[in-house]
Amino acid sequence: MIQLALFLSLAALLFLALIVLAARSPRAEGGAQALVEARQALSHLQAELLPSDLVARVFAREDLEYVLAQPSHRAHEMFLAERKKIAILWVRGIRRQVINLTRFHLGAARHYSSLSFRIEAALALDFAFLLFVCRALQVLIHIRGPYSAFGMVDATASAATRISSISEQALAFMNPAQMSAVSGPTGSSGGALGMRS
Amino acid sequence: MTAVLLDSLIWWCGIALELLVLFRGLQKRLVARYPFFYVYTASVLFFSIPLYFLYFGRSASYPVWYWAQQFITLVTGYGVLLEIFRHVLSAWPGAERIARTVGMSAFVLVLTFSVFYPLIISKWSTAETIIEFERDLRTVQAVLLLAILGTISYYGLPIGRNMRGMIIGYGLYIGASLSALAIRSHAGPSSYLAWYRIQPLSFNIAALIWVITLWRYEPNPQPSARTRFEMDYESLAAKTRSMVGAMRSYLVRSARP
Repeated sequence: MIQLALFLSLAALLFLALIVLAARSPRAEGGAQALVEARQALSHLQAELLPSDLVARVFAREDLEYVLAQPSHRAHEMFLAERKKIAILWVRGIRRQVINLTRFHLGAARHYSSLSFRIEAALALDFAFLLFVCRALQVLIHIRGPYSAFGMVDATASAATRISSISEQALAFMNPAQMSAVSGPTGSSGGALGMRS
Repeated sequence: MTAVLLDSLIWWCGIALELLVLFRGLQKRLVARYPFFYVYTASVLFFSIPLYFLYFGRSASYPVWYWAQQFITLVTGYGVLLEIFRHVLSAWPGAERIARTVGMSAFVLVLTFSVFYPLIISKWSTAETIIEFERDLRTVQAVLLLAILGTISYYGLPIGRNMRGMIIGYGLYIGASLSALAIRSHAGPSSYLAWYRIQPLSFNIAALIWVITLWRYEPNPQPSARTRFEMDYESLAAKTRSMVGAMRSYLVRSARP
């Protein structure tokens, strides 16, 4: 019986994969333009979403403490509602950038014959984990507010220093000459993702 | 009487569709572009006509011919997978490497399972060996196809109409055959009718898909030369990982009290 279930599950999985393939858009995914847009999105991420002062401001407890010290209950509610909205938009923006980074990596990696299965598997897990964390944060903020995501994960090393050095490295993904060669005359449309949703 | 008519209808529809696939392949010179696929189709057709007369003539040699056809088309069927590798994956060396690694690992796992599982189960009937052998080979094909489909989907590889039709048609046939063989192997001769009808019916549907999608040549989209950056993979992977790490740090930081 177990054996039968295994074979039937495999057949069902195959049918499901075929349905996904049939439903897929026929356009060529991950072309040059997509890579350029992903790269631009990463720039926006570094410049607009990840600066440490922005993150600190979005989740600043001092703001909460200040508002809570005020006597107006309505002001408390308004502040929390607004801050919740901003926090959710911020996480949503990060999530979208993670997806763009994934596309960027996959779009480039598929060209390389020296690609490592081990590294690709680790990266796939990293991406999946990040997307999961983003989704979990979104849910948590939505249910319990922007200041309630305490202790979800342990603190890590100093992010601000790290991101600045990584940003510099990340710019080497494509140099300006390569970017303009790839984007061509229509390549300046931009993939700005920012905080809009 | 109705069952005989139904069987006959399924059989002749299949032969007509196979002939049409081959005719269009020759007419549009697709045979030269997808030789392994057309060898497979021709091998199916080669056995279909004599098998029809043997089956309805109730010839004693029918089972021998039937299993010969099953075995040969199983082998030539791997040519369809080869076409997918040649036309869809070979243009993307990284993705091809992943598909090969996953496919081969799965292949070894399935073979190991097929060899060792019968040794540990108590019930073992030699009469069922041929069916189980075919089922196991179909399983290997299904696993390889799944590895290919997973890679195509994960890396977002572009896929043309010809290859899409080839994959969907063949995948449908493999999935249906695997289900029918697994049920037959498990339930025994009581599932005889289901077993004999599902496979030819699913093949006819596959052949219909091939007639439509291989009506004319539509090449598989190739990567643009402009997307090939002067960048080594290790550097790309290392930088992506750093970026992922940084993003995680920020998320963690945002969640910190």
